[in-house]
Amino acid sequence: MSPNPIGNRVEQLAQSLAEHIVPLIVDAIDIDSILDKVDVEKIIERVDVDKIVERVDVQKIIERVDVQQIIERVDINAIVNEIDIDSLVEQTELGSIIARSTTGILTEVLDVVRAQGVGLDDFILRWGNRLIGRGKKFRDWPAGPPLLVGSEAIAPT
Amino acid sequence: MTTVPVPSPALTVGRQGNYAGAVSRLAAFAADVGASWGLYTLGVALLNAALKLATGHSFTLSNHQLAAFIVLTLWEFLYFTYQWAVSGKTLGMAILGLQVVTRDGAPISGRQAVFRTVGLGITLFLTLGIGFLGIVYQRNRRALNDYIAGTAVVYDWDARAARLRWIARKEGPAAPRQHIV
Repeated sequence: MSPNPIGNRVEQLAQSLAEHIVPLIVDAIDIDSILDKVDVEKIIERVDVDKIVERVDVQKIIERVDVQQIIERVDINAIVNEIDIDSLVEQTELGSIIARSTTGILTEVLDVVRAQGVGLDDFILRWGNRLIGRGKKFRDWPAGPPLLVGSEAIAPT
Repeated sequence: MTTVPVPSPALTVGRQGNYAGAVSRLAAFAADVGASWGLYTLGVALLNAALKLATGHSFTLSNHQLAAFIVLTLWEFLYFTYQWAVSGKTLGMAILGLQVVTRDGAPISGRQAVFRTVGLGITLFLTLGIGFLGIVYQRNRRALNDYIAGTAVVYDWDARAARLRWIARKEGPAAPRQHIV
């Protein structure tokens, strides 16, 4: 505080004037019109991004990041479910890797026999039940044991 | 490169853990009968050869019908019980991608494996196969031997990997491919 009582009074006056005038000025300014006049493109052109990046200590930022916490927050199962694995295998070299590493004549025969067995199982189930007049009632039957498919799952035939 | 089209997910990936049907189970059983009979014949031949080498006399088990029947019955009992108790699947079931589980879907116990084998004999010989009709007409696709042992049979093969192999084969290993960028 000033030791001079007159100076003290002037200071208080200036402060109360500022308190009244500043809000009036701020209200009077049309910020939108000022922004309209600003050429943002020109400002961006002037910015030297490389210089900014050079000044940033990326290593320090990386050290601050808690990767474990990020991983914990990511639902990897949901991401994997989003991936269309069929098209991934079709369109990338993954297909040839799988083919080279696992395709043997025995594997091929087993794949065919098993898949055709499933098809024939469905056929027999469908027609066997139709023959005794059950129609399509067997479609409400459970698909599998509750621990393996859940209690709500019904047969896909 | 295979000419077999890629089967739908309904026949592959979507079926793991589902109750297995009659054709797959019959094919697995046929494979098991063939495998167990082949192993029995091989065992008897080896036994004959060993006895001839040791005693100088030839011994043919098939000449002693009662003994042959008992040995064969014991062997079949051992063949099925041991494999079901250890892994829940026999050789034939492994080929067809099937697995024996409890009614709820858990691994079976050794006791259940014993009951299932005894039940298999009852279903085959006492009901003359009628006990197998449950696989088609019963809601949990369980045969009489499944009821006796408290078990069920499900598809267990790695259908997802099989489907990927199919897609890979369809494309062919030498086909030009896009790279992941």
